[in-house]
Amino acid sequence: MDDRDLVGRARRGDPEAFTQLMMQYQVPLYNMALRMVGRPDDAADIAQEAFTRAWQKIRTLRDAPFKSWLFQIAANLCYDHFRRGRRYGEMPDEESSKVIGLGILTPDPQERAEASERNRLVRESIQALEPDMRLAIILRDVNGMAYDEIADVLRVPLGTVKSRIARARAQVQEHLQQYPDFFPSTREDAHAE
Amino acid sequence: MPSEPRDPTEPTLDELSAYLDHELDEDAKARVAQHVAGCAECQARLDGLRQASYAIRALPMETPTRTFTIPAKPRESFRWAPVAGWIGGVAAAILVIGLGVTQLHFPGPTASSTAGSGSKTTGGLAYGSGTQNGAAAPLAAPGVSSNDQRFNGQTSTASGNVATVTDPSNSSRRLVLDTDRASYATNGRMMVTVQLIGSPATSLNSGDQGLTLTLVHNGVGVALNPVGVESWNGTPIFGGWYDLASLRLSEPRLGDYHLEATWVIPDGSGRVLQASVPVKITA
Repeated sequence: MDDRDLVGRARRGDPEAFTQLMMQYQVPLYNMALRMVGRPDDAADIAQEAFTRAWQKIRTLRDAPFKSWLFQIAANLCYDHFRRGRRYGEMPDEESSKVIGLGILTPDPQERAEASERNRLVRESIQALEPDMRLAIILRDVNGMAYDEIADVLRVPLGTVKSRIARARAQVQEHLQQYPDFFPSTREDAHAE
Repeated sequence: MPSEPRDPTEPTLDELSAYLDHELDEDAKARVAQHVAGCAECQARLDGLRQASYAIRALPMETPTRTFTIPAKPRESFRWAPVAGWIGGVAAAILVIGLGVTQLHFPGPTASSTAGSGSKTTGGLAYGSGTQNGAAAPLAAPGVSSNDQRFNGQTSTASGNVATVTDPSNSSRRLVLDTDRASYATNGRMMVTVQLIGSPATSLNSGDQGLTLTLVHNGVGVALNPVGVESWNGTPIFGGWYDLASLRLSEPRLGDYHLEATWVIPDGSGRVLQASVPVKITA
């Protein structure tokens, strides 16, 4: 699907085109916000506001890629959220917000418990990062953006992107190494590859 | 962990991390590869960075817990807007885009409760007599012949009421969406099947798979809850029967819709596949 065509139609006021864009980006955008701010409700607020602003301002979007622009809006909203000090640093409680009851196949309870704990530790390690580093690693490892796309979103040089991602990964790794039962040290396997 | 090398050939932390992401130029990439191959310490640092990166990528992609909406565009953003009275009429209007409401709880035959504050139940998933353990009416595994037909679809094609979209970066990965018919009565039941062929995840949770299903009409979408049915030959299959009468469709309900399946591939790449089939609702 070509964003440019949809953006062109949305700029002319076509809500269906913007709907298509929303459907395309709602999950990645929400997940970026969720990993940044931690709480599902706050993340949904940010995603909602980002879509609203994007829709209202889309006529101002010229040649810049829609995706970078949209994520830039959401990133700014995340920083606003931090500046307001709302729930900053709180751990997300995503597990409790999930509803299980669809009767579908589920993993072994032990596996589920372990996976849940692993995920909690990873989320905790992300939350422990300083926001600039957190955003960079989220855009890379959650959203799968290329470095130049991330540079567009953050409006920083490529070298800064590279540095933030590297330092963030090092800090996350340092955090995870405190839990060798879940994240065995890689040092013994240094020659594995 | 030092970020600067202790000798000129040792890669920096930034370089090791960028090496993982294939974000180094060819010369730097070759230099790092050569050094790492003969340096246990740098290999271990690289493995540590990789472990951190993979741990984050392994986090499930969550599905938004509420309906997103967009307001009608304010008139001032349309400098060419020709009708003076237009702004007042639309300023208060809300286009409800029923997206992402998929984490629904189905305690029994009347699927109506929701998860998370602010969520709206928009799915009207029906239950068949064979319902087990609170599951939505299960769909049978695709038969060999019909499945082969689906699997042979080409990129962005639609045959009958089937649409297949192939991942441009991985031709063995496809999103297949189909309905049993293209036209339904307002009180009809629509059977939907979504196949995530070549999914990197085995989960039958739509949130884990990054799958959303939306019925769109005149720019307004209503989210349907894609229920994991089974994994057939490693392909996660979602679907169910949806009672059209129970969906919160905007009036007039009759008309041309399209059913959209959006799949954010759960491999951390951010790639999205989207398939759409036309659906008509008649009297």
